[in-house]
Amino acid sequence: MLLAFIFVPLLGAAIMPIIRKIWAKGSTWIMTLVSFYLVVTTGWIAYQNFLSSQKLVLTEWLLGQKLALSVDGLSLIALAAIGLVSLVTAIYSAGYSLDPDRRPGYNALLLLIVAGMNGLVMSTDLFSLYVFLEIVSLVAYILIAYQNDVEGLEGSFKYFMLSSVATVFLLLGTTLLFAITGSVSFIDLAAGIKSGNIIVQLGFVSVIFAFLVKAGMIPFHAWLPDAYTAAPSPVSILLAGIVTKICGVYTLMRVVLAVFGFTKSFSLMLLLIGAISVVLGAFLAFGQKNFKRMLAFSSISQIGYMMMGFATGSPLGLIGAAFHFFNHAVFKSLLFINAGAVEQATGTRNFDELGGLAGKMPVTGVTSIIGMLSTAGIPPLAGFWSKLIIIIALWQGGYHSYALIAVFASVITLGYLLSLQHSVFFGKVKQGLEEVHEVKPVFYWPAIIMASITVCCGIFFWFIIPKLILPVSSLLGSMLK
Amino acid sequence: MSILLLLILIPALYGAILLAFPANVKSFWEVINVAISAFLGYLVLLIWGPPQPISFIRAWAGFGMDFQLRFGQFNQFFIAAICGAVFLIVLYSFTFMLKHPRNNQFYGFLFLTEAMAIGAVLANNLVIMLFFWEAMLITLFAMINSGNGGSYKTAVKAFVIVGLADLCLMFGIGIVEAQAKTTVMTDIHLETTGAGAVAFVLMFIGAMAKAGAIPFHNWIPEASKDAPLPFMVLLPAALGKLLGIYLATRIVLEFFTVSIGMKLFVMSIGAITIVVAAMMALIQTDFKRALSYCTISQVGYMLLGIGTGIPIAIAGGLFQMINQVICECCLFFVGGSVEKQTGTTDLKRLGGLWKDMPLTFLCFAISGAAVSGVPLFGGFISKQMIFDGVLQTNYRIFFLAAVLGALFTAITFLKLGHAIFFGKTVSNQNEIKDAHWSMLTPMTLLALGTIFFGVDHSFPFDYLIKPSLGEGLREAVMDIHYVFSLSQLVWFTFFTLAVAVIDHAIGVRLSGNSIGSSDHIRNAPVLKSVYGLAERQIFDPYVQGKAVGRYAALGLYWIDRGINWIYQSLIPAVADFISQARRFHNGLYANYLAWSLGGFLCLLIYFVGYFK
Repeated sequence: MLLAFIFVPLLGAAIMPIIRKIWAKGSTWIMTLVSFYLVVTTGWIAYQNFLSSQKLVLTEWLLGQKLALSVDGLSLIALAAIGLVSLVTAIYSAGYSLDPDRRPGYNALLLLIVAGMNGLVMSTDLFSLYVFLEIVSLVAYILIAYQNDVEGLEGSFKYFMLSSVATVFLLLGTTLLFAITGSVSFIDLAAGIKSGNIIVQLGFVSVIFAFLVKAGMIPFHAWLPDAYTAAPSPVSILLAGIVTKICGVYTLMRVVLAVFGFTKSFSLMLLLIGAISVVLGAFLAFGQKNFKRMLAFSSISQIGYMMMGFATGSPLGLIGAAFHFFNHAVFKSLLFINAGAVEQATGTRNFDELGGLAGKMPVTGVTSIIGMLSTAGIPPLAGFWSKLIIIIALWQGGYHSYALIAVFASVITLGYLLSLQHSVFFGKVKQGLEEVHEVKPVFYWPAIIMASITVCCGIFFWFIIPKLILPVSSLLGSMLK
Repeated sequence: MSILLLLILIPALYGAILLAFPANVKSFWEVINVAISAFLGYLVLLIWGPPQPISFIRAWAGFGMDFQLRFGQFNQFFIAAICGAVFLIVLYSFTFMLKHPRNNQFYGFLFLTEAMAIGAVLANNLVIMLFFWEAMLITLFAMINSGNGGSYKTAVKAFVIVGLADLCLMFGIGIVEAQAKTTVMTDIHLETTGAGAVAFVLMFIGAMAKAGAIPFHNWIPEASKDAPLPFMVLLPAALGKLLGIYLATRIVLEFFTVSIGMKLFVMSIGAITIVVAAMMALIQTDFKRALSYCTISQVGYMLLGIGTGIPIAIAGGLFQMINQVICECCLFFVGGSVEKQTGTTDLKRLGGLWKDMPLTFLCFAISGAAVSGVPLFGGFISKQMIFDGVLQTNYRIFFLAAVLGALFTAITFLKLGHAIFFGKTVSNQNEIKDAHWSMLTPMTLLALGTIFFGVDHSFPFDYLIKPSLGEGLREAVMDIHYVFSLSQLVWFTFFTLAVAVIDHAIGVRLSGNSIGSSDHIRNAPVLKSVYGLAERQIFDPYVQGKAVGRYAALGLYWIDRGINWIYQSLIPAVADFISQARRFHNGLYANYLAWSLGGFLCLLIYFVGYFK
C-alpha cells in the first residue's frame, strides 16, 4: 500500500509519452486522478490506523528487509498536504495556458515531483532521503524554468546553485555518519552515533545546514523569493505550498526526531534562526510590491514559526509545528492560487497597477481574505490554532521572549497582509482594470477547496487536533526510548 | 434522540425557520406557533417527576466541558413554567401581533429565546449554561429592537447592562472553575471566602441582572415603552424572573455555603430593590411603566427571601416567584389589551373603562390584589412566609423595607385601578369593547390561577416548590404547612392595606383626581428632592456610566495620539530598515551563496564550540 504512493505517480509519469501520442488532453485527467487517489488513500490510512485501531506506525519492508517505507503521524500529515496541494495544482494547471504538445511532459514532471516527495516522506534511511530529495529538486529546477523565459531561468539557476551546495553538504554529512556507524538507516544511526565525536558533530552540522537551505531560513533564504516569483503560477502553488516545506522542514524534523534528538544547544540555535526568519521575513514582506514576492517572504516567516515550535522539543511544540505545517500548505497554496488568478485576470502582479478587485473578482477576493486571516492567525481559522499552540509551547518551555516575538510577528503578518488586501482588492478600481472579471471556474475552484479546508480545520479543531495531529507527539516518546 | 435535546432543538429550529422566512406571519402560521408551544409543554409533562434525574451527556470541547443536560425534580418546574409562559404569550399574540410589521422576527426570536432559556435551565455544566445564557442576550437585543422608533436606543442600553452582568457571570464561572476544578454544576460546593466570595458576588450579579434587580433594572421601564408588549411579558416578567431566581437559588443553596456577610449582601440588594422600585412605581403616569417598576420591586422580595437562608423564607421566595410570574404576566396582558383597545397606556388619557371592558377589569382587580398581597389571593401567603423568615433573622430593618414596599405597591395599584377603570370616561372612548377572546383567554387563565394559588397553597407548595429545593432543604421544609390563622402578622397586613386605602382617599381629596393621588408623597419634604434626582437620571448607572465613559474616551484619545506619534516616527525608521534589507537582495547568486556559506560557518563554529 505504501509503495503505491511512489509507484502510482511514477506509473502516471511513465505513460505520459504514450498519452501524448494518443490523447494529449488526457494527461491532465491522469494527473488529477492520481492526486485524487493519493488524497483518498491518505484519508483511508488515517481512518484505518489512527481513528480505528490506534496503530500509529505503518511500516513496509522492501528488498528483503533492507529498505523500508514507513508512515507515522508526521508523515501522514505530510502525505495529506502533498495530496491536497498536488490535487489543486492539477486542477489549476488544467486551465493554465501551455503548449498542448508540452502539456503531457509538464504533467509527467508534476507526477514525478509528487512521487519524489511521497518517497521522501516515507523513507527510513538517510540515503533514500537524499535520493528522493534530489529527484524533487531536479524536477523543481525544470518546472521553474518551464516557460523558457529569462526570469524563470534566472530563478531556476539560483535555486539550482544554492540547492546543489545544500545537497553536497547533505551527501557529505551522510558519508561522515556512515563512516562512523556503517549504516545509513535512521535506527542504526540513532543507535550508533555517540555525541562528543567530532566527526558526528561535523556530519550533524552538514545535514542540518542542508535542510536549513532547503527550507529557506534566513540567511539561507535568498533563492526562495526569486524561485517562487519566477515559476509559472501552478508551479509556484506547488513549490510554496509543499515542495520547500517537505524538502526543508519535514526532513529536518524527521532527521532530528529519528536520529539526533534534541539538545539544548540545537534548540537554542533553531529558536534563534526561527525567530530571525519570523521577524525579518515579515518585515521584508512588508517592503514588497509584487504579489508573489510578498507571499514568498511571508513563507519564510511562517516556516520560522514551524521551526520555533519544533525547537521547543516538547510534545505541544511538535503538535503545533506539525499542524502549522499542514495549515501553511493549505493557506499558502490558497494565497498563491489567488495570486495566480489575479495575474490571469489583470496580467500583472505589481501592487502599483492593482486595486479594487474585490468587486470584480468576488470569489478570489473572499477566498484571499480567508487565506490572509488564517495566515495572520485570526480565530476561528486553522492558522490561529496552530500558532496558538506554538506560542503556548514556547511559553511553557520557558522561552518567554521567543513567545513574545512570535506574537509580535503575527501582528506584522496581519499588517502586511492587510496592506496586500488594501492594494489589490480594496479601494477604487485602478485605471485599466475596469474590464476585469472573475477568472474561469477551474482557477477559482481550487481556491474554494483550500478556503473550505482552512475554515473547517479551524472550526473542527477539537476533532482534528486530538484525532489526527496528536499522534505526532508519540514520535517524541519513541525517540526518547 | 433524547427528549431533553428535543426540548431545545424544536424551538430553536422552528425559531430559525421563522427567521429565515422573509414574510410576515399570518393566521395559519400562528396556529402552528400555538401548536408547537403547546407540544413543548406536553413533552415536559411526559417526563414530569422522574424518580431519578434524566441525564444527557456528550463529549464536547474537552477540558471537562461536556455537553451535559439534566432534568429532575429540582428544575422540572422551571422548564414547565417557561413552556407555559411561552404558550400563553403565543396565544395572546395571536391577535395582538397579527398586524405587527416583521412579526416573523418577533416569533422567531421568541422561540429562540424559549430554546435558550430551556437550555440554560437544563444545563448541568456551567459553560453550557453560560452559552445558552449569553445567547439570550442576542435575542433580548433583537426583540427590543423589533419595536417602534426609539427601540434601538433602549435595545443598546439593555444589551450593555445585561451584557456587563453576563460578563460578571462569566468571570464568576471562571473563578468557580479554578477553585472547584470542575464546571459540572452538581459537583460544585464552595465556601464564600476569599476568591469564593468574589465568585459568589460575580455569579449573583449575573442572576440579579436577569431577574431585573436594582441596579440592573433601568432598561426594563424604557423597554416597556418601546418594545412590543408580549416581549415585556416574555422576558422581564416571566423568563427573566424564572431564570434569574433559578440561578440565584442554585448559587445560594447548592454551589456555595453562604456566609452571614454574603446573606446580608443578598438581603440588602433585595430590600433596596423592593423599596426603590416600589417608590418609583408610585409616581409613574404610564400603565406599562408603572407595571415594570412593580415587576422589579417584586424581584426584591424573592431575593430577600432566598437571602435569609431560612427554609420558610426560601420556600416563600420561590412561591413569591410563581405568584408574581402569574400575576405580572396577567397585568402586562391587561396593559396590552387596554393599549390595543384604546391606543394608549397613558393614565391621563384613560378612565372609566370598567363598563366597556369588564373582563379585563376583573383580571386587573384580581392580579392587582394578588401583587398587593391581599389575603386569599396568590402573593399573600408567599409574602407572609418571607415576612416570617425575615423576622427570624433579627434584622428588623429588612422587615421594615418589606412592609414599606408592600404599602407602596398597594397604593400604586389603587391609583392605577382608579385612574384606568373608574373616574370620568375620556371623550373618544365611545367604540371600545372588551379584548378579543385570544387575548382574554390567557388573562383569565392566569387570573384564575392566582385565585387558585391563593386559596389552595398546598398544591404549589408540595408539587412545585418543595421538589425545586435541594435535598437538605427539602427535608427541612417537608413539615412546613402554612396554616392561615389570624396571627399578628396577618393583622399587620390588614393594617397596611387599610393605610394604603386611607392614603389613596386622602390623595384623591388633596389633588382632586386619581392620577395625582400620590402627589402628596412625591412632594413630601425629603422625597421631593430624591424623586427630582431620580427623574434627572442621577441614579441611572448606565447614564452615569456614559458620562464617565466620555472622560475615558478622552483619555483613550490622548493615548491613541501618543501611540500614533510613536508610530509616525517609527515608520520611517522601519521603512529605512526594510529598504536596506531589500538592497542586500541584489539578485546576484554569488552574494546569496556567500550568505549561505557564512551561515554554515557560523553553525559549524557554534556546534563545534558547544562540543568543546
